[in-house]
Amino acid sequence: MSLQLLFDALALGGIYAIAALGIALIFGVMRLVNFAHGQFIACAVFALIVPSTDALAVLGLGALPAPVLVPLILMIGAGLAVLAEALVFRPMRNASPVALMVGSFALGVALQNLLLVLYGGRPKAVSLWAELGQPVQVGSASVPLLQLIVIAAVVVILAALAIMLRKSRLGLEMRAAAEDFTMARMLGVRSNRVISGAFALSGALAAVVALVLVAQTGVADVRMGGQIMLVAFIATVVGGMGSLSGAVAAGLGIGAASALLQAGLPAEARPFRDAFLYGGVILVLLFRPQGLFAPVGAKPRV
Amino acid sequence: MKRLAGHLVAMTLLAQPVLAQDDLTVGFAIAKSGWMEAYDTPAATAAMIRIEEINAAGGLLGRQIKVVAADTRTDRAESAKAGLDVLDQGAEMMVVSCDYDFGAPAALVAEGEGMNSFFLCAEDVKAGIQGVGPNSFSSSVLAPVQGATMAEWAHAKREARTAYVLEDTFIEYNKGICTGFNWMFPQLEGAQIVGSDTFKNDDASIASQITRIKDLPEQPDVIMLCSVMPGAAAAVRQLRAAGINSLILNGSAVDGSYWLEATPDLSGFVVPVQGSIYGDDPRPEVEAFNKAYEAKTGSRPASQYAYPGYVLIDLWAKAVERAGTVEGAAVTAELEKMRDEPTAFGPRSFTPELHHQDTALMQIIEITGGKPARVDEWRISQPVPLDVLMKK
Repeated sequence: MSLQLLFDALALGGIYAIAALGIALIFGVMRLVNFAHGQFIACAVFALIVPSTDALAVLGLGALPAPVLVPLILMIGAGLAVLAEALVFRPMRNASPVALMVGSFALGVALQNLLLVLYGGRPKAVSLWAELGQPVQVGSASVPLLQLIVIAAVVVILAALAIMLRKSRLGLEMRAAAEDFTMARMLGVRSNRVISGAFALSGALAAVVALVLVAQTGVADVRMGGQIMLVAFIATVVGGMGSLSGAVAAGLGIGAASALLQAGLPAEARPFRDAFLYGGVILVLLFRPQGLFAPVGAKPRV
Repeated sequence: MKRLAGHLVAMTLLAQPVLAQDDLTVGFAIAKSGWMEAYDTPAATAAMIRIEEINAAGGLLGRQIKVVAADTRTDRAESAKAGLDVLDQGAEMMVVSCDYDFGAPAALVAEGEGMNSFFLCAEDVKAGIQGVGPNSFSSSVLAPVQGATMAEWAHAKREARTAYVLEDTFIEYNKGICTGFNWMFPQLEGAQIVGSDTFKNDDASIASQITRIKDLPEQPDVIMLCSVMPGAAAAVRQLRAAGINSLILNGSAVDGSYWLEATPDLSGFVVPVQGSIYGDDPRPEVEAFNKAYEAKTGSRPASQYAYPGYVLIDLWAKAVERAGTVEGAAVTAELEKMRDEPTAFGPRSFTPELHHQDTALMQIIEITGGKPARVDEWRISQPVPLDVLMKK
């Protein structure tokens, strides 16, 4: 039972952690809370199927073999985010953070309506990798293969990102830009490159969440991504705005807490699971208003 | 000025009898955009089919039915505006959005004018006297009736004795399904609800809920899943992937084969519907409608939710004929006299207490090997009592 619970908690937390990372990355370099992140996820999901308003969905890209499909969807996610940056956020670069945030909301609404026009309002079935749902026996727990893959993917993504940020030139520039954007530019860091890079990574992470969601639920819905975006945003706040590791830890924590509450609450209280969850978030913020892992002096670093 | 006013009065008076011979106007304040559109359009199309049939047969009270429409944009505030809009366009009866939340603001506008309003397919008791007012109706079948139908049918025909209830807390409809099931199932001989749990429609995973079911000493005979798309498809996929093979029951809301790809080769999944879209309904009228729908739109109905649109115009037109007027109170009085009034999709009743169906003949659709088919029909042995409907 307890091992089973651990896997349930890790798998849900892992999805939230990847989504939170996508938001924290952009916040780190641009002070932008990207509320369109949920719609990036939805767009990556719908990229799998042929645009049509018919009730029955036809797999387009989704029919490709996984080794082709995964990089392709990640590229679509990254491309969409870079495009959004170039068309929407670059012209707004000098706007106030509030204006940027409103801009991201507007982008989200526009993307959602684009999906509605192309695909209609009805949820669509997408049978992607149904075999990943098969349970695997791990010790006393029976865990769907997908959960194991999600957990492994989180570990790999985090490790790769950490190495990228420490070792690569883009990573160095990103960290420098997050530290002091003006100074970094004066020292020769090209801001457009850094910001586009952050958006590309964020978009690719949105695509990862999209693939996991589709493999898990088998449906595409224009409203999907919204709930994950909300949780991910809360995770970045709880983790400390601007702290990547904080966002990941808080994402994992919120997912785990949600799974534990679902398992532990009495039946009458279970419908109010999220009220307990967010009550806990409020408690944390009362004691640590700057977030759990806010860098010293709440000075955001990447 | 006075003279002008006098002229206007005279003109209005002269115009009156001419207007009365004019077309009879039905206003559609429904979602033509936004996510609700996918649900409103099929039912509205079905309503249009019935209106065209009536017009072809000479109209209603000797008047042709004219349709005016306004878009609610799947927005509660816009819904009230759409109601006012169709009113301005001369609506004498109003058809509003499927869902109570999105239809009620427009229905309240109609109610304020003492006009009849019909929800396209609402299955919440509030979409009528209890929530809108005395002239509001829905021709669909209440959610608790669907849940109770599943309970009694599964007990009688599939020897279901143990049930597990999994409720999606997303919308009132889901609660209604579970309310009906929880009322009916424990009264049946030897039947017992062995556990229950909740989830949210947009939960990324229901692993914890599945773990709880798997921890039961014995797998339940049936799982009553009270959910709607997309959460329902996600839940079914995860339940089956985890190796839980109990018969899964749901409400009419998940009718249609469009989502079955989500769980390839799904078997043992049952829903109650008002009529079969799969061409195997024993009533020829249902298949005739499916064909008419295909002729009009190019494809067969994607789910049973087209049918209530046809039924509502049918019932309303009958009541108007009997009342001899479209005036709200008079038509309401005639509608409330209907007891098992025959329609293409089964008998319908309204009473001064309830403008909904608290019992109905439902077709049972079972999915086997990924293919849906009508396997049976069922009408619950006793209507769902009003206090159960209201308690929620």
